[in-house]
Amino acid sequence: MNIDEWKSQIKRGTLEYSILLMIQAHSSYGYEIINRLNEWDILSAKESTVYPLLRRLLKEEYLTSSWQETAEGLPPRKYYTITDTGRKYLDAMSVEWDNLISAIKKIKGE
Amino acid sequence: MDTILSSYLDKTDRYLKPMPASERSDIIQEIKSEISELQKTEHLSSEQIVARLGDPKELASAYLGDAISKGSGFSFGRFLTVLAFYSVVGFSGLFVIPTLGIIAPVFMVCGILCPVAGLFKAVVGLLNLKIPFAGHIVFMYGSSEAGPVMTFFLALFTGIFLFAAGYGAWKLLVYYVRTVSRTRRKL
Repeated sequence: MNIDEWKSQIKRGTLEYSILLMIQAHSSYGYEIINRLNEWDILSAKESTVYPLLRRLLKEEYLTSSWQETAEGLPPRKYYTITDTGRKYLDAMSVEWDNLISAIKKIKGE
Repeated sequence: MDTILSSYLDKTDRYLKPMPASERSDIIQEIKSEISELQKTEHLSSEQIVARLGDPKELASAYLGDAISKGSGFSFGRFLTVLAFYSVVGFSGLFVIPTLGIIAPVFMVCGILCPVAGLFKAVVGLLNLKIPFAGHIVFMYGSSEAGPVMTFFLALFTGIFLFAAGYGAWKLLVYYVRTVSRTRRKL
């Protein structure tokens, strides 16, 4: 039995949704997003997955970014903010997500 | 930043070569920011950080892989799209940019000069001064000449109209250039 392969497929399919949800809640930077994802095993992702994904979301204009100075003497952080297009995209994703959840529930006979 | 980390960043940067320089430096800047978070917040050593970020080649190819799947590779359809884009932009730019580029500043300057000339004419006319060339500033209705005050107002309105036209041309030019560069980036 190889549950890991299935888990990584689920992760691949839902990472974009989870990240957009986080950024919609409040503007955020890469390290914060990765840390938050790491709270759940099913969503935990590496830098080499998250940063290129953020970059793609920027190119598709679902997100915008801005460099902001930090108070703690760290180098500037790149903050990501959701755009109107991104919000629409996210709304459409949420609809499909709910469809999926209710379909699975019905199949299970709940 | 010690030698382990700076050599790691150098390597990653080198593997990102197919990307434009501005994008590369932005990516490296962001990885640097991540590294210092890992140092300050999680107190990781340089070796641990390098292990966590993974092989520079793989990290770079994760960025590049995305760029490639976005269609920067060659295909006939893409070739035609690029060809069509540059044909349209090249041809339209030939007229749009010089025309608007001339209209915008000239109309705006004329828009300012016109009321100034009108004011000058009004002052000359009201005070009955004899100044050469003032007679050239004239508004005509049919065959009769507008009075000094009327001349000023007519000149003011003409000026406002010209300035608005010039400003509109400028806005249009900016919009044109922005749209072109945005479309090019998406290509």
